Amino acid sequence: MRLDDQAAGPAGASEEDEITSGSRAALDPVRVEVSALTKNFGSVRAVDDLSFTVEPGQVTGFLGPNGAGKTTTLRMALGLITPDRGTTTFNGTPYAALTDPTRRVGAVLETAFHPARSGRNHLRVYCRAAGIPLSRADEVLDQVGLGPAGGRKAGGYSLGMRQRLGLATALLGDPAVLVLDEPANGLDPEGIQWLRGFLRHLAHEQGRTVLVSSHLLAEVEQTADRVVIVGAGRLVRQGSLAELRSGSAGSVLVRSPQTAALAELLRTDGTTVVTTDGHPDGLTVTGLPVEEVGRRAFAGGIELHELRAHTSGLEEVYFQLTAGSEQYAAGRPDAATTGQAAA
Amino acid sequence: MGAVIARLTRAEWTKLLTTRVWIGLLLGSCVLVGGFAALFTGFAGSSGGGPDGQGLPAVGTPDFEQLALGVSANATVLFVVLGIIGTTQEYRHRTATPTFLTSPHRGRVVIAKLLAYLVAAIPMALLVIAVDVLVVSVYAGARGAAPSLSGDNLRVLGGAWAALVIYAVIGVGVGALVRNQVGAIVGVLVYLFVVETIVQAIPAINGAYKWLPGGALEAMTATFGQTDLLSAWQGGLVLLSYGLVAAALGTLLAVRRDVV
Repeated sequence: MRLDDQAAGPAGASEEDEITSGSRAALDPVRVEVSALTKNFGSVRAVDDLSFTVEPGQVTGFLGPNGAGKTTTLRMALGLITPDRGTTTFNGTPYAALTDPTRRVGAVLETAFHPARSGRNHLRVYCRAAGIPLSRADEVLDQVGLGPAGGRKAGGYSLGMRQRLGLATALLGDPAVLVLDEPANGLDPEGIQWLRGFLRHLAHEQGRTVLVSSHLLAEVEQTADRVVIVGAGRLVRQGSLAELRSGSAGSVLVRSPQTAALAELLRTDGTTVVTTDGHPDGLTVTGLPVEEVGRRAFAGGIELHELRAHTSGLEEVYFQLTAGSEQYAAGRPDAATTGQAAA
Repeated sequence: MGAVIARLTRAEWTKLLTTRVWIGLLLGSCVLVGGFAALFTGFAGSSGGGPDGQGLPAVGTPDFEQLALGVSANATVLFVVLGIIGTTQEYRHRTATPTFLTSPHRGRVVIAKLLAYLVAAIPMALLVIAVDVLVVSVYAGARGAAPSLSGDNLRVLGGAWAALVIYAVIGVGVGALVRNQVGAIVGVLVYLFVVETIVQAIPAINGAYKWLPGGALEAMTATFGQTDLLSAWQGGLVLLSYGLVAAALGTLLAVRRDVV
């Protein structure tokens, strides 16, 4: 992995250490606290009393379907949109009150650059504005693997290169907090893998606070330690991925020629036993571990053809949690007017 | 705060110099002004084909010299566009997001832009003036009398120079107010070339013309004995006020408007 080498390899690492050793030692862990954020756009409530926290040293995935209010929330957190109610603080201080915001918080909200300006000059503009040495522009270009393209006009960059330029902009101030809105959009598989490793490195090895939004769980599943899930502007769930997995009631799938007798044995307090869809000889059991199902069948002398634990995937859990909260759900072809009346 | 504004002002210069907009507008201004200067000098003294029989004043007369040295003021149109692009490009290319992330105090960004374009316009305007002087001196000199750079002639040049700089500042203010690049440019052009012309043409309201940007601009350059104009320095102050009022309104709105 060429890009991995640049991000974490010996050359990149020693250079990085030299730049940031002072600030690394002094890198204050920053806790981000979103509290009761609310925003209406006209009659649409985009964000509704949303509160969650983002901890340092972890990658936090900010998940929700399109239109769930993720981008609005991030923009409110960074002072770009004024909330109707609520606050966001970085170790207790709102973004607009941070003395040197570029050195505290880096954000990639969209691919924003002048198409006629080179990537390097784009970065130099913000070096100047934040009082950072211009040489830092080349350092972050190398860090995100854009070094050779730094002199080219940003308008000619591919989507993936634009995302990397956005990330480079966020890294300019070597910030303790990184906020990224859909950073994987437009990245090729190699780029996504690189980004995952890069974000984990920033959070786990360097103790930074990393918040990554996505509408796809699969995108953050391998990166995030915690997730915050929103739907229709409201908090649906926040917690570690492990908590989310265990929160989904796993089920056991069992097939037997004697389903009636088996169901009888399995039906005890707190368990449900239903016939599996499409399998007349199958049962789906929830509330019992797979070992217990096997033990009871063995004790009852019941013949089994299949026995397996079915942990519903995270994707399934995510889908269940956010089901029905899409702002622009596709209607059924025959339900032409009901949706409009509701909106 | 002063240090922050200084940083932001330098960032604005980097923005300005890392695209070619300024080169295009500066070259355009030089060509426009050089062309006008050559045209007026070439036709100076001809009786003209107009029905009133009036032509351009002859080379060597004070009227000719003020007219020819004042054509730089025509480039104010391009200088106001420079300022407008300077502000509106942030919204057009969505760089307002990283800009306001770097400086959450949006008023400071607007102040830095006003300062940056004020200072940047000074040498640019000087070059435009120099082209005007060069063309008129060489051409009119060949036709008999190069204008002296003193007295009223110098006042006209100074007025045109200041007007160019102030129009760049007005552009920044208008851009902060309107945000839409095409809308702001078209709006300013329509205002300067249509609205003010109409105001001048209607007797009941043409007394207001001297208070408008066009009238103030005329006051700053060649007045040709028109009595219904402000004095040059008043005209400059009126122009500057327009720029600052637009910028102040734009700042107030920029602070309130969501950057989505």
